[in-house]
Order: sequence, then C-alpha cells, then structure tokens
Amino acid sequence: MPEHGDAAAVAQPAVGAREWQPVIAAVLCHWCTYAGADMAGTTRRVYPATVRPLRVPCTGRIDPLLIVKAFESGADGVLVSGCHPGDCHYVQGNMVARRRFTALRALMEFVGLDPRRLHFAWVSASEGVKWSQVVAEATAAVREAGPFQGWGTLGEPRRPAVRLPEVPAPPRGAPRIEDQQAVAAHLQRLAATLLDEGQVSVVIGYAAGSLDGQMVPTFVERSEDASKLAWSDRCVNNLAVYLPAFRRQEAKVALVVKKCDARAVVGLLQEAQVSRKRVVLIGVSCPGVADNKGTLALKCYACDGEVPSLCDWTVTPAGAQQGAHPSGAARAVTDDPRDAQVTYLASLPPEDRRAYWQAQFAECLRCYGCRAVCPMCYCAVCVAEQNRPQWVPTTIDAKGNLTWNVTRAIHLAGRCGGCDECARVCPADVRLDLLNHRVAMEVEQRFGYRTGEDPSVAPPLDTFRPDDPQEFIR
Amino acid sequence: MTGWRLSGAELTRWLEDLLRGGTRVIAPVDEDGRRVFKAVDDPARVCLASGKTRWSPKEFVFPKTEALFSYAVQADGVTLRAASVDAAEQVLFGVRPCDAAGLARLDATFLGGEIDPLYARRRDLTTVVSLGCAEAEPECFCTAVGGSPGGEEGSDLQLLPAGEGWLVRPLTPKGERLAASLSTWAAKASDEEWEQARASVRRVEESIRHSAVAREWASILEASFDSPVWEALGRRCLGCSICTYVCPSCSCFDVNDNGTASCGERCRSWDSCTFALFTRQASGHNPRPTQASRYRQRVLHKFAYYPQRYEGRFMCVGCGRCVAMCPVGMDIQEAVRMAVEAPRGSGDAGR
Repeated sequence: MPEHGDAAAVAQPAVGAREWQPVIAAVLCHWCTYAGADMAGTTRRVYPATVRPLRVPCTGRIDPLLIVKAFESGADGVLVSGCHPGDCHYVQGNMVARRRFTALRALMEFVGLDPRRLHFAWVSASEGVKWSQVVAEATAAVREAGPFQGWGTLGEPRRPAVRLPEVPAPPRGAPRIEDQQAVAAHLQRLAATLLDEGQVSVVIGYAAGSLDGQMVPTFVERSEDASKLAWSDRCVNNLAVYLPAFRRQEAKVALVVKKCDARAVVGLLQEAQVSRKRVVLIGVSCPGVADNKGTLALKCYACDGEVPSLCDWTVTPAGAQQGAHPSGAARAVTDDPRDAQVTYLASLPPEDRRAYWQAQFAECLRCYGCRAVCPMCYCAVCVAEQNRPQWVPTTIDAKGNLTWNVTRAIHLAGRCGGCDECARVCPADVRLDLLNHRVAMEVEQRFGYRTGEDPSVAPPLDTFRPDDPQEFIR
Repeated sequence: MTGWRLSGAELTRWLEDLLRGGTRVIAPVDEDGRRVFKAVDDPARVCLASGKTRWSPKEFVFPKTEALFSYAVQADGVTLRAASVDAAEQVLFGVRPCDAAGLARLDATFLGGEIDPLYARRRDLTTVVSLGCAEAEPECFCTAVGGSPGGEEGSDLQLLPAGEGWLVRPLTPKGERLAASLSTWAAKASDEEWEQARASVRRVEESIRHSAVAREWASILEASFDSPVWEALGRRCLGCSICTYVCPSCSCFDVNDNGTASCGERCRSWDSCTFALFTRQASGHNPRPTQASRYRQRVLHKFAYYPQRYEGRFMCVGCGRCVAMCPVGMDIQEAVRMAVEAPRGSGDAGR
C-alpha cells in the first residue's frame, strides 16, 4: 500500500537538492527547549534545517504514541528535548518522562529501530548553543542511518534465520489429577460458603468448557451452582480481567487467582481500578498451566506457584484456609525461558530483529484479542478506538500493525504482570509475551521494580527518582 | 462418475503444472507450528494432512485491508482513481468443505444483491479446490449446520482422500478448466473408489456428534432478543474479534480514509460486530451499548437474520474455529441452544 504519511508530505526533497536531508521530528517542551531553539535563532546560531519542531507543554505530556506516530508518518528520526531535571516548569514532568523514554527506547530498539534515529536531550531556554549542537549531532546520526523505511513500506516480510533458543524441558511433571480434583472440591465448598454467608455476591472461577479438557471463566452467583467450579492445569485465563467491570458496583466479588493472575490484581489496585474491600481473593496453589500445545507455559518455568500474600484464602489439594499460606515446599523452578529468548533477540543486529518482528506483525489480524484478555487494558476507550483523529491506523497492514503492537506494549510498561494471556490467545502466534518481557526486564534493571508485588507502591512509570539513569539523554 | 485418481506424486505433478502455467496457488502450509493459507511456489510446502488452518482463506477474496479508491487534492480539483484488483488467476487449494461453504455464504453477502465489484473481481479470478476431511477435530460441527466433511458447496473441484492418494472431480465449469490437463494423463477413478471415499466421509460425519441446529429456530431466536440469557452469555465475552476474524462467513468491514488532507486512499478493513466501536454513532450514542447486545448480534445474525434472508442457510458453516479459539471458550452452538430454550422475551423490541 502506498504511503501517505503526514511527514511524507513534509519530507518532499527540495527541487535540485544536493544531498538527502533527513527529516527529524523534534518534540520540544514549551518552557525550555522551544525557547532554547528560539535562543539559537536570535543569537544567529547555524544548524541543519532538518528538525520539524512540535511544541508540547512538557515532556511529561509526550505520549510514546507521538514518537511512534512520527516514525509512522515518515520521519527519519525523532528528537525529544525538554528542561533539565530540576528545571521543569511543572516540577517533575520531565523526570516522569525520563522513565517513559527509558522503556520506549528499549522497546523501539527491540523491535529493530536503529538507535541512531531516536534522540533525547535536555536543553534549557538559555542553551541556544547546546540546541544547535544537539541538532547537528542528531542530524549526523540520522544521516548515517539513512532514509527511514522501517514503517509502512515493509512489503512482503523477509523471514530471517532467527532461531529462538530451545525451551528446555519443563522443571516439573504434569500436575496430579487427584490433586486437581481435590482443589476443585475445596473451591466449590468455599464458594458455596462465601455465597451462602453473603460475603460475596459472585464468585468468578473456572468451569469445564464445551471442548474436552477446556476450562473457561464462569460466574457463580448461587451456592447451588458452585459445583460448576473446576480446577486443572487448563485454567489458563487471567480472571482479573473481569474485575474492572465491577468498579462502580457495590457487589463484592470473589476471584479465583493463580500467582500470575494476582500480579494483575496488584496492578489494578495500584491504579485504583478495584477496591480491595470489595474483592475476596481465592489463591490457588498452582502447579503450572499448560500452553496451547499442552506443555508447561513459559511463564510457569520460573514461578513457584505459591499463593501470594495478597490473598484472602489459600486453596491447596489439602484444603482451603483463610489467609495466604505459602506451602513452603517451593516447587522446582528454573530460569525463565523468556529471558533467554529476549536476550537472544536483543543480541541480533537491528536489521534481523526488525525482520523478525515484521514477519510477526505481518500476521497480526488486529482482532485485539491481546487487549481484550489483558487485565491491565481496562481503558473505557482504548487509544486504538480514538478516531478523531485516528491515532492507530485501522488498516490491517504493516503500518497499522506495527503502530498497534508497539503502542500496546509500551502502554503496559511497568504494568504488565507477565501472565502472557495476550500471547496465548493471539491467533497469529505473535510473540507479544517477548515484547512485554523485554520492557519488564528494562524496568526491573533500570528502576529495580518488579510488577505485581506490592499494591501500596506507585507503578514505576508514574513516579521517578531524581537519580534515575539518564546516560542516553544528551 | 467422472474424476480421476491421483497418487501423492501425481498430485504434486498437477500442482507443479499449475504453478508452471502461472497460476497463483494458495494452499495450507505449516509455518512455525501453525497452519495457514499462503501462496506457494513449491508443492512440497502444501500440507493436506488432517486439521484446519488457523483462519479461513477468505482473506484471498476479501482482503483484511484493501483500497477502494485513491484521492489527490490538487490546485485544479480532486482526482479520484478507482482501485484496481491486481490479482492474478488464483487457486485456493485444499480448502476444507466448511471453508468452501463459507466462501459461498460470503458470495451471498457480497454478490447476492448489490454487487461488490472488488469482491466480484477477485471471486471471478478464484477457483476453489475443496479437500474432504479424513477426520474431524473436536470443535468441528459442520453436520449440525447442514454441512459435511465431504461437502460440495462453494467448491469448483472436489478432492477426497482415498487411501494413500486422492480422488478428484470437477463440480463447475471453472473446476473443469482447472482439471483439464488431468484428462490427458491421470487415471480415471472407478465408481467403487468414489463409493469408498464417500463411505469414509460418512464415517467422519458420524464422528461429529452435535445435534442439528434447526432452521425453524430463526424466529424463536429472534424472539429471544430481550431474553436475560444474552446478559448471562455476554458477561463472559471480552469483546475481541477473534471469532469474527477467523470465521469463514463473517463479512463486516469498516471504511476509513488512510492518508492526509491532500492525498490518500479510502480503504476498507475487516471489522467486527463484537467491538464497541462498531455501532457507535458520531453523536456518541451506541445502539448496542453492552457486550451482551453485541454478542447477541453475532449469534442472531448468523442463525436468525441471515437464514431468513438467504434461503434458510446459516451464516455459520460449523468449522468450530470460534469455539476453539475464543479466549474464554464461548460456544456459539451452546449460545443458540440456550437462547432457544430460554423463556421468551416480548420479541418486539427493535433490533
């Protein structure tokens, strides 16, 4: 499909141009860098006419989507610049933004964007000289990288010889059937009690689906229906996805959660999407769940499956107990295979990495299954549904698919609990889990934060530390 | 009975002939652990083993995204250019009978009344070779909605498994053209061979244990419009569009301008009744405000409205993909049954 991006129109080469000039979208804060660029002009500093300034009130306002859109629209590079830390007109906008840029940068590089195309700087209103230097440097780097053809003109994807590391044998055998039945029986009894005593008005758990062995979410509202509740290693759904629907209801809800699901509940509590008082968490000691092929899901390798401390009830094959009771007999865990896969992809040359993700995204149907199953995707109106203007192209092609998948992943930065439901349901088998995992690794490494553990702390991208690493910012 | 018997090697030879003749062959291939329809240039990649592709081949006649026309605004006015279908003759090879039937249901939608020129052009260029099933998958329910693992609806040429090889026979003039070369070298199949192949189709049919969905239910379903059953069902539905996008007969699309104020294309892209945005109006009003009402629409469209409009056929061919691939295991057959058995609402609420 031919490209008709905004910047493509801007990027018309001048008639008789001597050499190719990159187009760099410069997203500048109003208070510092925009004024600094003015200063460069009034003091007659000369610098390449490659930047197209876009003024925003604060770098804290820069949704990563602005940067993604710049590339989608044909920019060869993006330069983001604002006030030095400590100088922010809004006190801390730039420091919150810094964390966001950290995550975005990691993600963009992971999907194969040449790092020479994405630049960050702090330029104050008095730094006209620095501004001209920053532009010159960014221009040199983008020129070196050449015209950007990464977005929208992908064509038939090249299948690179990317071989993700083999996943080792699961660290533990299949869960015992009698244990599963015992858990189901305890769940049924507990649910009936909670409903009969009026402690909750609905129990959200699992019941047998219509296909053999399939487990599906179910809503139990009467104690006589509690016998529907079931448990097996096919209880894959993250039921926390149903919690935000109860946000405005008085009803108390009991939710059956595995350790991975509870991480999402923590996320929802942090973001005030659910009231702790209205949710009764029934933690099930989890032996690991099956993936679509019936083998242990990757997310389970490094998880001990213990009931997290957040839970109100602990259900094990031995019975149901009030409170969270780790069994202590930690189950065998090994390294997370997603670590190795992400590390391998990250070690490839950007070209190969880009080809890998192009091939992945080319298959995306834009069914938004990834969004639908994600407990953290609770927005009443998703950015993909914002159509005035149309932020995410509705076209199901390389351009729209890349914008969507990158946007989805970055919106989950520091929020994704790693339940991998998105990857499980993807009809096209896009490795969305690896995108999320890459960002989670960055967040952990940079900010020492692991998602889904403590509901009382702020999510990492909502906050900052004055000394957050910023070696990538000029 | 006309038709030929082909060994595996002969089938490969036939495909090679077609490819050499410049025909675009689209067939199931196994790629990174999933089966998908792809244009192939090597018959060795074609996978005709049991099982079905992740989604139907409808994208080859009804692309996920296609341009309808392009526009350019210049000083002297607006130039519009109609999109042309650059597709070559194509053969959809190894299409399961349910998927072939799905194409026929799409035909009713796109060609049944006002003719959709882009669809019509692609459809004209397409010959469908259906592939009878040697076994059913757990989610299959074609027999419940009037289909069969050896069904002929929508296919131009039928391929049935026969021992190590295949029986093939044309069903339409298009199919005859495609099979023309076979008559010069392939062995004729005997009546007994066809009988055996049909007997094995019957065995597959019998292995699909789903009771039939009755056509007469259309009006009962319509009357269930206000039934509380939809609320109970819709509560679980998360509102993605996996069911509609993998569906062989779903045909909804969205029209959207892709470009700038000065130039661009008007495109249509797949869309889904399960999305909240699907019916939201410019005013903000949404006539289908809840997921329950959207899920109801999907079921009723397939089993009530469509059959009433198109000769009693369902807009469901029983491939079962939506059942197998739904993130929360929604089962459309179960929904139909629950709605039919549920106490009726007044039924006169407008759609």
